[in-house]
Amino acid sequence: MSHNSSSPDFLHHHFHDVDQQYQTSKFGMWAFILTEVLTFGGLFVAYTVYRSWYPEMFYDAHLLLDVQKGMLNTIVLISSSLTMALAIWAIQKKNKKLSLWMLVITWVLALGFLGIKYLEYSHKFEVGQLPGIFYSYMGPEVVNIDNPHIFFGIYFIMTGLHGLHVAIGMGLIAWLIYLTKKDKLHSEYYTPMETVGIFWHLVDLIWIYLFPLFYLIG
Amino acid sequence: MSNEHHITPLRTYLIIAGSLLFLTGVTVWVSYIDLGSFNIILAMAVATLKATLVVLFFMHLLWDDKKNLVIFVMSLMFLGIFITFTLLDTGFRGGINPEVKTAIKSKASFYDNLPLTDTHGNPVESHEDHHEGEDDSHH
Repeated sequence: MSHNSSSPDFLHHHFHDVDQQYQTSKFGMWAFILTEVLTFGGLFVAYTVYRSWYPEMFYDAHLLLDVQKGMLNTIVLISSSLTMALAIWAIQKKNKKLSLWMLVITWVLALGFLGIKYLEYSHKFEVGQLPGIFYSYMGPEVVNIDNPHIFFGIYFIMTGLHGLHVAIGMGLIAWLIYLTKKDKLHSEYYTPMETVGIFWHLVDLIWIYLFPLFYLIG
Repeated sequence: MSNEHHITPLRTYLIIAGSLLFLTGVTVWVSYIDLGSFNIILAMAVATLKATLVVLFFMHLLWDDKKNLVIFVMSLMFLGIFITFTLLDTGFRGGINPEVKTAIKSKASFYDNLPLTDTHGNPVESHEDHHEGEDDSHH
Protein backbone atom coordinates (compact mmCIF):
# COMPACT_ATOMS: atom_id res chain seq x y z
CA MET A 1 0.00 0.00 0.00
CA SER A 2 2.65 2.47 1.06
CA HIS A 3 4.83 3.73 -1.75
CA ASN A 4 7.12 5.68 0.55
CA SER A 5 10.63 4.38 0.64
CA SER A 6 10.99 5.35 4.34
CA SER A 7 8.46 3.79 6.71
CA PRO A 8 6.81 5.93 9.42
CA ASP A 9 8.12 5.56 13.00
CA PHE A 10 4.82 4.10 14.27
CA LEU A 11 5.08 1.14 11.87
CA HIS A 12 6.50 -1.91 13.64
CA HIS A 13 9.12 -3.82 11.66
CA HIS A 14 7.15 -7.08 11.60
CA PHE A 15 4.32 -5.57 9.54
CA HIS A 16 4.40 -5.00 5.79
CA ASP A 17 2.69 -1.64 5.91
CA VAL A 18 0.57 0.67 8.05
CA ASP A 19 -2.71 -0.78 6.80
CA GLN A 20 -1.73 -4.37 7.64
CA GLN A 21 -0.69 -3.21 11.13
CA TYR A 22 -4.00 -1.41 11.65
CA GLN A 23 -6.13 -4.33 10.42
CA THR A 24 -4.17 -6.84 12.53
CA SER A 25 -4.66 -4.77 15.69
CA LYS A 26 -8.41 -4.52 15.10
CA PHE A 27 -8.67 -8.24 14.33
CA GLY A 28 -6.91 -8.97 17.63
CA MET A 29 -9.29 -6.68 19.50
CA TRP A 30 -12.32 -8.42 17.99
CA ALA A 31 -10.91 -11.80 18.97
CA PHE A 32 -10.66 -10.43 22.53
CA ILE A 33 -14.27 -9.15 22.28
CA LEU A 34 -15.31 -12.74 21.42
CA THR A 35 -13.75 -13.99 24.67
CA GLU A 36 -15.46 -11.14 26.55
CA VAL A 37 -18.88 -12.05 25.11
CA LEU A 38 -18.36 -15.63 26.26
CA THR A 39 -17.08 -14.58 29.72
CA PHE A 40 -20.19 -12.53 30.35
CA GLY A 41 -22.13 -15.21 28.46
CA GLY A 42 -21.59 -17.70 31.28
CA LEU A 43 -23.09 -15.19 33.71
CA PHE A 44 -26.01 -14.48 31.40
CA VAL A 45 -26.63 -18.25 31.30
CA ALA A 46 -26.64 -18.33 35.13
CA TYR A 47 -29.10 -15.44 35.13
CA THR A 48 -31.39 -17.17 32.59
CA VAL A 49 -31.37 -20.51 34.45
CA TYR A 50 -32.14 -19.02 37.86
CA ARG A 51 -34.74 -16.62 36.51
CA SER A 52 -36.49 -19.54 34.78
CA TRP A 53 -36.47 -21.41 38.12
CA TYR A 54 -37.55 -18.47 40.32
CA PRO A 55 -39.53 -15.98 38.17
CA GLU A 56 -41.55 -14.60 41.13
CA MET A 57 -38.46 -14.25 43.32
CA PHE A 58 -36.65 -12.30 40.56
CA TYR A 59 -39.65 -10.00 40.18
CA ASP A 60 -39.94 -9.34 43.93
CA ALA A 61 -36.19 -8.96 44.50
CA HIS A 62 -35.72 -6.57 41.56
CA LEU A 63 -38.07 -4.11 43.29
CA LEU A 64 -35.26 -3.54 45.83
CA LEU A 65 -33.09 -2.00 43.08
CA ASP A 66 -33.15 1.73 42.35
CA VAL A 67 -34.53 2.18 38.79
CA GLN A 68 -33.67 5.89 38.72
CA LYS A 69 -29.99 5.27 39.48
CA GLY A 70 -29.94 2.45 36.92
CA MET A 71 -31.47 4.67 34.25
CA LEU A 72 -29.12 7.54 35.10
CA ASN A 73 -26.19 5.15 34.71
CA THR A 74 -27.55 4.01 31.32
CA ILE A 75 -27.66 7.64 30.14
CA VAL A 76 -24.15 8.28 31.52
CA LEU A 77 -22.73 5.24 29.74
CA ILE A 78 -24.43 5.97 26.38
CA SER A 79 -23.14 9.56 26.58
CA SER A 80 -19.61 8.29 27.28
CA SER A 81 -19.89 5.97 24.26
CA LEU A 82 -20.78 8.99 22.12
CA THR A 83 -17.85 11.07 23.43
CA MET A 84 -15.48 8.11 22.87
CA ALA A 85 -16.68 7.83 19.25
CA LEU A 86 -16.30 11.60 18.84
CA ALA A 87 -12.73 11.47 20.21
CA ILE A 88 -11.86 9.12 17.32
CA TRP A 89 -13.80 11.28 14.87
CA ALA A 90 -11.91 14.38 16.05
CA ILE A 91 -8.48 12.78 15.71
CA GLN A 92 -9.40 11.53 12.22
CA LYS A 93 -10.26 15.17 11.41
CA LYS A 94 -6.83 16.26 12.81
CA ASN A 95 -8.48 18.14 15.72
CA LYS A 96 -6.20 17.18 18.63
CA LYS A 97 -7.74 19.62 21.10
CA LEU A 98 -11.31 18.37 20.57
CA SER A 99 -10.14 14.75 20.73
CA LEU A 100 -8.44 15.41 24.09
CA TRP A 101 -11.56 17.08 25.46
CA MET A 102 -13.76 14.19 24.34
CA LEU A 103 -11.42 11.68 26.03
CA VAL A 104 -11.45 13.70 29.27
CA ILE A 105 -15.28 13.88 29.21
CA THR A 106 -15.45 10.11 28.56
CA TRP A 107 -13.17 9.51 31.56
CA VAL A 108 -15.24 11.79 33.81
CA LEU A 109 -18.49 10.07 32.73
CA ALA A 110 -16.91 6.68 33.52
CA LEU A 111 -16.02 8.01 36.99
CA GLY A 112 -19.62 9.23 37.34
CA PHE A 113 -20.89 5.74 36.47
CA LEU A 114 -18.73 4.18 39.18
CA GLY A 115 -19.80 6.90 41.63
CA ILE A 116 -23.50 6.10 41.11
CA LYS A 117 -22.70 2.39 41.34
CA TYR A 118 -20.89 3.08 44.64
CA LEU A 119 -24.01 4.76 46.06
CA GLU A 120 -26.12 1.72 45.08
CA TYR A 121 -23.60 -0.80 46.43
CA SER A 122 -23.02 1.02 49.75
CA HIS A 123 -26.77 1.10 50.43
CA LYS A 124 -27.02 -2.63 49.76
CA PHE A 125 -24.04 -3.37 52.01
CA GLU A 126 -25.67 -1.27 54.72
CA VAL A 127 -28.99 -3.13 54.72
CA GLY A 128 -27.54 -6.58 53.96
CA GLN A 129 -28.90 -7.15 50.45
CA LEU A 130 -25.85 -9.24 49.63
CA PRO A 131 -24.97 -12.48 47.80
CA GLY A 132 -25.32 -15.96 49.26
CA ILE A 133 -24.40 -16.44 52.90
CA PHE A 134 -23.86 -12.70 53.42
CA TYR A 135 -27.54 -11.91 52.83
CA SER A 136 -29.25 -10.60 55.99
CA TYR A 137 -31.91 -8.14 54.86
CA MET A 138 -35.38 -8.97 56.24
CA GLY A 139 -37.39 -5.90 55.27
CA PRO A 140 -41.15 -6.01 54.76
CA GLU A 141 -40.81 -6.45 50.97
CA VAL A 142 -38.93 -9.73 51.25
CA VAL A 143 -40.85 -11.72 53.89
CA ASN A 144 -42.55 -13.74 51.17
CA ILE A 145 -39.54 -14.12 48.88
CA ASP A 146 -37.94 -17.55 48.88
CA ASN A 147 -34.31 -17.04 47.80
CA PRO A 148 -33.44 -13.34 47.42
CA HIS A 149 -29.77 -14.12 48.15
CA ILE A 150 -29.58 -15.86 44.75
CA PHE A 151 -30.80 -12.74 42.95
CA PHE A 152 -28.23 -10.59 44.76
CA GLY A 153 -25.48 -13.13 44.08
CA ILE A 154 -26.09 -12.85 40.33
CA TYR A 155 -26.63 -9.08 40.56
CA PHE A 156 -23.34 -8.42 42.36
CA ILE A 157 -21.24 -10.73 40.20
CA MET A 158 -22.59 -9.39 36.89
CA THR A 159 -22.61 -5.68 37.78
CA GLY A 160 -19.31 -6.15 39.66
CA LEU A 161 -17.52 -7.68 36.68
CA HIS A 162 -19.02 -4.95 34.51
CA GLY A 163 -17.84 -2.30 36.99
CA LEU A 164 -14.34 -3.81 36.88
CA HIS A 165 -14.44 -3.35 33.08
CA VAL A 166 -15.42 0.30 33.55
CA ALA A 167 -12.46 0.79 35.93
CA ILE A 168 -10.05 -0.88 33.45
CA GLY A 169 -11.56 1.25 30.67
CA MET A 170 -10.79 4.38 32.72
CA GLY A 171 -7.15 3.32 32.94
CA LEU A 172 -7.02 2.76 29.17
CA ILE A 173 -8.69 6.12 28.43
CA ALA A 174 -6.19 7.86 30.73
CA TRP A 175 -3.44 6.18 28.69
CA LEU A 176 -5.05 7.51 25.46
CA ILE A 177 -5.14 11.03 26.93
CA TYR A 178 -1.41 10.76 27.65
CA LEU A 179 -0.59 9.41 24.16
CA THR A 180 -2.69 12.07 22.42
CA LYS A 181 -1.20 14.88 24.50
CA LYS A 182 2.33 13.67 23.60
CA ASP A 183 1.36 13.63 19.88
CA LYS A 184 1.93 9.87 19.77
CA LEU A 185 -1.57 9.56 18.28
CA HIS A 186 -2.61 11.56 15.21
CA SER A 187 -4.76 11.25 12.08
CA GLU A 188 -2.25 8.84 10.47
CA TYR A 189 -1.96 6.56 13.52
CA TYR A 190 -4.75 6.27 16.09
CA THR A 191 -5.00 2.46 16.36
CA PRO A 192 -4.90 2.42 20.22
CA MET A 193 -7.82 4.85 20.31
CA GLU A 194 -9.80 2.74 17.84
CA THR A 195 -9.23 -0.52 19.76
CA VAL A 196 -9.84 0.99 23.22
CA GLY A 197 -12.98 2.54 21.69
CA ILE A 198 -14.21 -0.92 20.65
CA PHE A 199 -13.58 -2.14 24.24
CA TRP A 200 -15.40 0.86 25.71
CA HIS A 201 -18.45 0.35 23.45
CA LEU A 202 -18.55 -3.31 24.54
CA VAL A 203 -18.80 -2.11 28.16
CA ASP A 204 -21.75 0.06 27.07
CA LEU A 205 -23.27 -2.85 25.13
CA ILE A 206 -23.19 -5.20 28.14
CA TRP A 207 -24.84 -2.57 30.34
CA ILE A 208 -27.58 -2.19 27.68
CA TYR A 209 -28.57 -5.78 28.56
CA LEU A 210 -27.87 -5.62 32.33
CA PHE A 211 -30.12 -2.60 32.83
CA PRO A 212 -33.44 -4.15 31.66
CA LEU A 213 -32.55 -7.62 33.02
CA PHE A 214 -32.02 -6.38 36.59
CA TYR A 215 -33.87 -3.08 37.00
CA LEU A 216 -36.87 -3.48 34.67
CA ILE A 217 -38.30 -6.97 35.21
CA GLY A 218 -41.89 -6.50 33.97
CA MET B 1 -2.90 4.07 4.47
CA SER B 2 -4.86 5.62 7.31
CA ASN B 3 -6.62 8.18 5.16
CA GLU B 4 -8.46 5.32 3.44
CA HIS B 5 -10.36 4.68 6.69
CA HIS B 6 -14.03 5.45 6.63
CA ILE B 7 -14.79 8.59 8.66
CA THR B 8 -18.33 8.46 10.01
CA PRO B 9 -20.06 11.85 9.66
CA LEU B 10 -20.70 13.71 12.95
CA ARG B 11 -24.44 13.76 12.18
CA THR B 12 -24.57 9.92 12.16
CA TYR B 13 -22.98 9.70 15.64
CA LEU B 14 -25.42 12.24 17.08
CA ILE B 15 -28.46 10.50 15.52
CA ILE B 16 -27.31 7.10 16.87
CA ALA B 17 -26.72 8.49 20.39
CA GLY B 18 -30.12 10.22 20.28
CA SER B 19 -31.79 6.97 19.20
CA LEU B 20 -30.06 5.07 22.03
CA LEU B 21 -31.28 7.56 24.65
CA PHE B 22 -34.80 7.51 23.15
CA LEU B 23 -34.88 3.68 23.21
CA THR B 24 -33.71 3.74 26.86
CA GLY B 25 -36.77 5.87 27.65
CA VAL B 26 -38.99 3.46 25.70
CA THR B 27 -37.67 0.40 27.54
CA VAL B 28 -38.21 2.03 30.97
CA TRP B 29 -41.71 3.18 29.96
CA VAL B 30 -42.93 -0.21 28.67
CA SER B 31 -41.55 -1.97 31.78
CA TYR B 32 -44.29 -0.24 33.81
CA ILE B 33 -47.02 -1.64 31.53
CA ASP B 34 -48.07 -5.17 32.43
CA LEU B 35 -47.84 -7.24 29.24
CA GLY B 36 -47.29 -10.58 30.96
CA SER B 37 -44.52 -12.66 29.46
CA PHE B 38 -44.37 -10.26 26.50
CA ASN B 39 -42.54 -7.73 28.75
CA ILE B 40 -39.27 -9.66 28.70
CA ILE B 41 -39.49 -10.26 24.93
CA LEU B 42 -40.05 -6.55 24.29
CA ALA B 43 -37.26 -5.53 26.71
CA MET B 44 -34.80 -7.89 25.00
CA ALA B 45 -35.92 -6.76 21.52
CA VAL B 46 -35.28 -3.10 22.41
CA ALA B 47 -31.92 -3.99 24.04
CA THR B 48 -30.89 -5.94 20.92
CA LEU B 49 -31.87 -3.04 18.66
CA LYS B 50 -29.73 -0.72 20.83
CA ALA B 51 -26.84 -3.21 20.80
CA THR B 52 -27.06 -3.47 17.00
CA LEU B 53 -26.77 0.32 16.67
CA VAL B 54 -23.76 0.37 19.01
CA VAL B 55 -21.99 -2.46 17.17
CA LEU B 56 -22.62 -1.20 13.63
CA PHE B 57 -21.98 2.52 14.14
CA PHE B 58 -19.97 3.14 17.35
CA MET B 59 -17.82 0.02 16.91
CA HIS B 60 -17.58 0.74 13.15
CA LEU B 61 -18.51 -2.82 12.08
CA LEU B 62 -20.73 -1.53 9.26
CA TRP B 63 -17.73 -0.23 7.28
CA ASP B 64 -15.12 -2.52 8.77
CA ASP B 65 -13.42 -5.54 7.26
CA LYS B 66 -16.12 -8.22 7.24
CA LYS B 67 -13.91 -10.75 9.06
CA ASN B 68 -14.42 -8.73 12.27
CA LEU B 69 -18.19 -8.97 11.83
CA VAL B 70 -17.85 -12.74 11.31
CA ILE B 71 -15.91 -13.05 14.62
CA PHE B 72 -18.51 -11.07 16.52
CA VAL B 73 -21.48 -12.96 15.05
CA MET B 74 -19.69 -16.23 15.85
CA SER B 75 -19.38 -15.20 19.52
CA LEU B 76 -23.16 -14.64 19.58
CA MET B 77 -23.78 -18.02 17.91
CA PHE B 78 -21.73 -19.81 20.56
CA LEU B 79 -23.53 -17.84 23.28
CA GLY B 80 -26.82 -19.03 21.74
CA ILE B 81 -25.64 -22.66 21.82
CA PHE B 82 -24.46 -22.16 25.43
CA ILE B 83 -27.85 -20.82 26.59
CA THR B 84 -30.02 -23.22 24.53
CA PHE B 85 -28.29 -26.42 25.58
CA THR B 86 -28.07 -25.39 29.24
CA LEU B 87 -31.80 -24.61 29.30
CA LEU B 88 -32.58 -27.94 27.60
CA ASP B 89 -31.13 -29.46 30.78
CA THR B 90 -32.26 -27.09 33.54
CA GLY B 91 -35.66 -26.34 32.01
CA PHE B 92 -36.81 -29.96 32.13
CA ARG B 93 -35.38 -31.22 35.43
CA GLY B 94 -38.67 -30.66 37.26
CA GLY B 95 -40.24 -33.83 35.89
CA ILE B 96 -37.41 -35.99 37.18
CA ASN B 97 -36.33 -34.19 40.33
CA PRO B 98 -39.28 -32.14 41.62
CA GLU B 99 -37.28 -30.94 44.62
CA VAL B 100 -35.12 -28.57 42.55
CA LYS B 101 -38.01 -26.12 42.52
CA THR B 102 -38.12 -25.78 46.31
CA ALA B 103 -36.29 -23.05 48.18
CA ILE B 104 -32.55 -23.51 48.47
CA LYS B 105 -31.97 -23.34 52.22
CA SER B 106 -28.32 -22.58 51.98
CA LYS B 107 -26.20 -21.16 54.78
CA ALA B 108 -27.50 -17.66 54.07
CA SER B 109 -27.69 -15.73 57.31
CA PHE B 110 -31.08 -14.68 55.94
CA TYR B 111 -32.40 -17.92 57.39
CA ASP B 112 -30.75 -17.68 60.81
CA ASN B 113 -33.50 -15.63 62.48
CA LEU B 114 -31.31 -12.55 62.58
CA PRO B 115 -32.91 -9.41 64.02
CA LEU B 116 -35.51 -8.14 61.54
CA THR B 117 -34.69 -4.80 59.94
CA ASP B 118 -36.62 -2.27 57.91
CA THR B 119 -35.44 -0.75 54.62
CA HIS B 120 -32.96 1.46 56.51
CA GLY B 121 -31.41 -1.39 58.46
CA ASN B 122 -33.10 -0.42 61.74
CA PRO B 123 -34.34 -3.32 63.88
CA VAL B 124 -38.10 -3.91 63.93
CA GLU B 125 -40.30 -6.20 66.03
CA SER B 126 -42.22 -7.75 63.15
CA HIS B 127 -43.30 -6.99 59.62
CA GLU B 128 -47.02 -7.03 60.33
CA ASP B 129 -47.27 -3.23 60.74
CA HIS B 130 -45.89 -2.60 57.28
CA HIS B 131 -48.38 -4.76 55.45
CA GLU B 132 -51.25 -2.28 55.47
CA GLY B 133 -52.38 -1.35 51.99
CA GLU B 134 -49.68 -3.45 50.41
CA ASP B 135 -50.67 -5.13 47.19
CA ASP B 136 -49.60 -8.73 47.14
CA SER B 137 -50.43 -9.38 43.48
CA HIS B 138 -47.39 -10.17 41.38
CA HIS B 139 -46.89 -9.96 37.66
